[in-house]
Amino acid sequence: MRIVFLALLLTASLLYSYYAYDTLSFLTTTGRLGPGFFPRIIGTLLVVLCLAALISDRRSAADEGDIGVAADAWSVAAMVLASIGYLVALRLVGGVVGTVIFLLVILSIFNRGRYFLNATLSVAVPACLYLLFVVTLNADMPEGLLPLPF
Amino acid sequence: MDIFADLWMGLAVAVSPINILYLLVGAMVGMVVGVIPGFGPSAGLAILLPVTMGMDPTGAIMMLAAIYYGAMYGGTITSILLNTPGESATVASTFDGYPLAKKGRAGPALVMQAVASFAGGTIGVMLLTVLAPAFAQVARNFGPPEYFLLAMLGMITLLVMLGHNWKLGLISALIGFALGTVGVDLETGQSRYTFGSAELIGGIEFIPIAIGLFGLGELFYSFYEGAHKTGADRLIRYSEEKHFWPSLHDWVSTRFTMIRGSLLGFVVGVIPGAGATIASLMAYSLERSVSKRPENFGKGEMAGLVAPEAANNAASSGAMIPLLTLGIPGSGSTAVLLAAFLMWGLRPGPLFMEQNAPLAWGFIASMYLGNMALLVINIFAIPLFVQIIRIPYRILAPIVVVICTIGTFSVASSNIEMYLMFAAGVVGFFMRLYGYSPAALLLALVLGPMAEEALRQTLMISQGSATIFFERPGSNWIMVTTVVLLVVLPLLQRFGRTARADPASAGA
Repeated sequence: MRIVFLALLLTASLLYSYYAYDTLSFLTTTGRLGPGFFPRIIGTLLVVLCLAALISDRRSAADEGDIGVAADAWSVAAMVLASIGYLVALRLVGGVVGTVIFLLVILSIFNRGRYFLNATLSVAVPACLYLLFVVTLNADMPEGLLPLPF
Repeated sequence: MDIFADLWMGLAVAVSPINILYLLVGAMVGMVVGVIPGFGPSAGLAILLPVTMGMDPTGAIMMLAAIYYGAMYGGTITSILLNTPGESATVASTFDGYPLAKKGRAGPALVMQAVASFAGGTIGVMLLTVLAPAFAQVARNFGPPEYFLLAMLGMITLLVMLGHNWKLGLISALIGFALGTVGVDLETGQSRYTFGSAELIGGIEFIPIAIGLFGLGELFYSFYEGAHKTGADRLIRYSEEKHFWPSLHDWVSTRFTMIRGSLLGFVVGVIPGAGATIASLMAYSLERSVSKRPENFGKGEMAGLVAPEAANNAASSGAMIPLLTLGIPGSGSTAVLLAAFLMWGLRPGPLFMEQNAPLAWGFIASMYLGNMALLVINIFAIPLFVQIIRIPYRILAPIVVVICTIGTFSVASSNIEMYLMFAAGVVGFFMRLYGYSPAALLLALVLGPMAEEALRQTLMISQGSATIFFERPGSNWIMVTTVVLLVVLPLLQRFGRTARADPASAGA
């Protein structure tokens, strides 16, 4: 996974550098530093460092054997997936209802068997946030595509 | 005498009822952030930044600063009662804090850490009061070349402190610089990396990245480490002990320790990149080396708890000097504080204290009051924080995800920023997991645009010649300071590392 992360960084660095060299000029027409000056330096350094890190990581991975994935990576994956689901729910049903659904789901995964506590928290937390952000701070909560009162 | 007049004016600003309320809320929240393991002041500040949106800037800055130094106080409670530092700056407090608690002296340890934190915090603010105007005076003559070099100094010192991880730290910093280039180039008006998106024309906002990296990223990492599966079963029951208050011997034996720790902590805190963690580890090492009973360190020596506590709180005051007078944050936490200033349209720098005197001095005065409030809260509200420690992480974490998400949205009512925050959270998790530095990324995101602008202005002034950096006294001083720090910082780091290694061997 470590090498995959580095490879993704390298790919992003290459794309960043390509844009810097292809689209942004190094100097302006008047001879001053152009918008591409910093991005070209940053992109080049990123590509070189990512390549160096990738090579040294491949060597150490070959020496130490396979880098395993810890058991708790599954908990992280569940949390990340639930968070993605939360973002989708916010878009569909808005801040208050989306938060109730997210908390019900995530608490029933990680805090199993505590039905009353989970249900209470799932309602109380969005209610408090609504009071804090919308009523007290006069800020917005996400509005969903479905026409719901909250 | 001007300093006293300014401080008096600041006190008048700070003691307004609403500002006192914000200060107390900040202190309490900071304590809560501190006692939750895996949640540092950076995360607490980033998550709560949106909550300050509707407030008056003075009150908001006071509250955020109180969260920052309040976390230093709170982090020690778990270090003493649970042998788990609430945040990295309180790691050194576990060395003797937990052994003291195991010996049945948790009560005196909790009181002494609160007093040491108060001493460190207050001595730090006193030094800040005296030195900040002097720093601002020196920095008044700084121009674009000096600002470019200062930004580089901040980045270089942070990378040096990362030690053998400096390559990954440099990659992190470059990612931050790269993100800082997104948006319209102010000099030519050309769009960079916006790909036609109207939302990206203004650049990538700092707040969603900070909340994602420090809020969600830390949370995912704590899950990875299994924080949601562990409870507070090992928590030591201090309430069952006979003596809660420290003995006369505790006070007498640590009176100079507090002063030494505070002075050392403040000096280390001023250095960008060094921070409270290094300060507390160094203070521990120093205290053991001057102690008549060094063999007792790691086995429950009160001085071994007092020294790092005084140092980490003094360091948090010291870190305010480069932030207020130069506009250079030295750590992830102070970078978030700088973002708060910028969010309110305030630009810290040499003229900041002069142009925004009521706010700047009100902020400094509030730190005196905040430390007093934290001393009282720390001693008398310990049972409350013990209850917070008992809340399982599996319940706390989903609530934090909700606060991060809704908080990010509330800043600009932007769905894009919410998605950006989530992406930063996932990237932040992998960065923590594989040894990259989210703090370097954030610092570079703040300093990058400033450094680019300063460099372009510098080369415009000098008509393309880099010799301008060697012709100005200010630039020369900054370059000399950078070189000195490059030599001194690894030595300081080695000094701190021996403190970390020795109690472990003592306990083995």
